[in-house]
Amino acid sequence: MSPFVTGLVGTALMFVLIFLKMPISFSMLITGFLGILFLTNVEAALGSVALTLYRCFSDYALTVVPLFVLMGALANVSGISGETFQVAEKWLRRLPGGLAMATIAGCAAFASICGSNIATVATLGSVALPEMKKARYADSLATGSVAAGGTLGFLIPPSIGFVIYALLTEQSVGRLLIAGFFPGLLLAVLWMGSIIVSVRLNPGLAPVSLARVSWKERLYALRNLWAVILIFILVMGGIYLGMVTPTEAGAVGAVGLFLIALSKRRLTFHNFVDSLKETSRVTIMLFLIIAGALIFSYFLSLAQVPTVLLGWIADLEVSRYVILALIIFIYLLLGCIMDAGAMLILTMPIVYPIIRTCGFDPIWFGVICVIMMNAAMITPPVGVAVYVTTGVAKNVPMSTIFRGALPFLIAMVLVSAIVTVFPQVALFLPNFMR
Amino acid sequence: MLSNIRKLVHRITLYAAAVGMFMLVIMMFLTTSDAISRKLFVPIPAAYELNQYMLAVFGLLGIAYVQQTRGHVSIGLLIERMPLRTQFVIGSIITFISVLVFSLVIWWGWVEGIFSMKAGTASDILRIPVFPFKLLVSVGAFLLVLELLLTLIDNIRNALSATSPDKEIEA
Repeated sequence: MSPFVTGLVGTALMFVLIFLKMPISFSMLITGFLGILFLTNVEAALGSVALTLYRCFSDYALTVVPLFVLMGALANVSGISGETFQVAEKWLRRLPGGLAMATIAGCAAFASICGSNIATVATLGSVALPEMKKARYADSLATGSVAAGGTLGFLIPPSIGFVIYALLTEQSVGRLLIAGFFPGLLLAVLWMGSIIVSVRLNPGLAPVSLARVSWKERLYALRNLWAVILIFILVMGGIYLGMVTPTEAGAVGAVGLFLIALSKRRLTFHNFVDSLKETSRVTIMLFLIIAGALIFSYFLSLAQVPTVLLGWIADLEVSRYVILALIIFIYLLLGCIMDAGAMLILTMPIVYPIIRTCGFDPIWFGVICVIMMNAAMITPPVGVAVYVTTGVAKNVPMSTIFRGALPFLIAMVLVSAIVTVFPQVALFLPNFMR
Repeated sequence: MLSNIRKLVHRITLYAAAVGMFMLVIMMFLTTSDAISRKLFVPIPAAYELNQYMLAVFGLLGIAYVQQTRGHVSIGLLIERMPLRTQFVIGSIITFISVLVFSLVIWWGWVEGIFSMKAGTASDILRIPVFPFKLLVSVGAFLLVLELLLTLIDNIRNALSATSPDKEIEA
């Protein structure tokens, strides 16, 4: 068997194991190990597994992941997500579908201090959904906006999606995080626009609210945003101005939110321990997938799979945008059945070299990838954000939530198209960085 | 008997993970102090290498805890359409393969750790030896194998008890 064929057989074996419900991290690690064993010898195979595990788990660049996740967990404990919704609700309530728009705006604000998103869906949803039910919004719009809004945490910095991408592609974490800012904002605005359009087309979705909100009330509500603004300036301002590294920013943000949660008397020993446990679960699950992917891609490069594939791609007589569209299409498909983070890590060893060969900007492509990760969280049948929403919106069937999230999915594809035609949307800010 | 062993294993892996979580809290405060003191006075020496070591403790000791909470993501889409017994049989095989490979990792993690100990590799500034942390690969894999063995026993038991056809229909 030639090395290349071994590589293909290994890849097929990995997918078989994944579909037999072996954890994704184990599948990559084990096929990677077997492949290296087949191509070299026992010592090399065992050595690369043990050493990669150590190197990956002691990689300083990865420190930022648990810190960002912990920020999100602490922000949830301190009840900030409910507050951001209430502020947005005061300002947007009277517009068509105003409460759904407020959900998106609240999620966007919360995403600016939170690196992962899933918990946001639960905490913000538990505040926003009863409000929308009271105002007799359609279930599909109400739950769809909560599920979609929750994915914004991955795009609007700080975001662990960008951290993982940066790690796998050896790009600057800081620049990637900054690059996500405008596309994230654009996505939130487009989502709000699509809510207005769908409510205009089908007024039954959201009855217009007649209750007036005075300007005094609106302005007074803004005071609740201090924590978000403070943490955002500390973390993203610090990174943008080059005052702190992303890891330091994560630590400062986590300490800041720890103190805010303490001052709001929300932090008990019990929920601090819960935050730490959640951080461990999310982070270590990702770390092991990254380690597995590193072992697996070492096997692939031994088998010369990337080299051969890139040779084929280079010989293809098609526009590079056709290849890009194909990659996006594959991501949308994979996103239907896979966890977002796992999807990114699994595909990067093959996709990234292709993207570089085609001459695309790596920072720009990071933004596209993270938007695809967002999409993966709301596409059926496997969509984490939808699952979590089901937990909050009892009595709403999952199919209704998936249907409600569909318009938001279309907007995501649109944003990818806009960012592709106008890469400046993503690259404008990072290009100004020192 | 088995339930006592299960409790013991779960407790050990939780405590191991708790040591790691404690390291995370230290990392958070140490890195913040470093960032502040670097701007105002001088950087805290060795914050970088301390963070690396603490991250290793946090991550490697936590792998088994994540298995305990079934937190390692997997795709059950295809397999959940199969008869219950087939699911458990496949589950047993999959877990058995994992036990085998991670047992090899226990062994080789140990070999690599002892190798570093003999070579005397240490961190740059504080000269903290690397080998105890490399041995954590072995310890982490050992704890993971313990948890996986519990999963394996469950799967085999379920596969055996789901033999009668009516139970499959029930599920």
